[in-house]
Amino acid sequence: MPSKYSLLKESWNMILMYALALIMIFVLTFHLLLVSPLTGKTFDQVLTYSYVLHNLTYYRIVFGLLLYAAVIHGLNGLRVVLIEWLHVKRFQWIINMIIVMLMAFLLALGTYTLIAI
Amino acid sequence: MEKEKEEKRYKSGLLRSLRPYKFNLERYTYTLHRITGVILILYLIAHVFEIYHLALGPVAWQQTMALLSSLGIWEKIGLWIIAGSALYHGANGLRLILNEAFGMLLGKPVLPEYPYTPTSLSRNQKIAIYTIVVIVVALWIWAGIYLLWGLGII
Repeated sequence: MPSKYSLLKESWNMILMYALALIMIFVLTFHLLLVSPLTGKTFDQVLTYSYVLHNLTYYRIVFGLLLYAAVIHGLNGLRVVLIEWLHVKRFQWIINMIIVMLMAFLLALGTYTLIAI
Repeated sequence: MEKEKEEKRYKSGLLRSLRPYKFNLERYTYTLHRITGVILILYLIAHVFEIYHLALGPVAWQQTMALLSSLGIWEKIGLWIIAGSALYHGANGLRLILNEAFGMLLGKPVLPEYPYTPTSLSRNQKIAIYTIVVIVVALWIWAGIYLLWGLGII
């Protein structure tokens, strides 16, 4: 029987997932529009160094928001999928640790990229 | 002995969860939501690494792009699958937020009566699911045209 605190934690977990998903719907749509045919460019043209660099520096905060929302939502989702699929108690701690380390690494790498460019 | 039995049952549970047999419509959307989610997180990990090369300068970026281009048609097919995954995961996720966070599209709760049709599969819910499928397929075809032939419809 889970304690009332663990239930509270799980429900906050879902609220976090919904909130990040809503943020991502807007921010990811914006990101996809920047590489879509609406820009008047071909697919190869939107991948040139100057175009990608310009977008990332000009909309740095938007891409930062996307990085944090996508990494936290995505990895937390993967954690839930793995825990529910391999529903063995001893795997939970290992899965949680791997996800937390991967999350920290990706956020550090992404933040460094956004600052260094 | 008991443990062995449990282990067997556990293993069959894992395999059966991957076998899409006698699922209802909502279960298909749920399974597809998870599969597309896993595809997207794997892509996100690769994408963060890819964008990191931007910080290493134009030469590193060109090398990364050349490496991806060397995959030929598979690069475009891969991106098309990711585009489809993002479109479906986003659209279905929005439906789930309306369902689970706001209780919309679900209809009124009723007593369980044979043949136990889930109330979550109400008419509104089915319309929402089929609308999502139509929109996602249309946008996915558009993305495919853009990726594979470099043609923008708009």
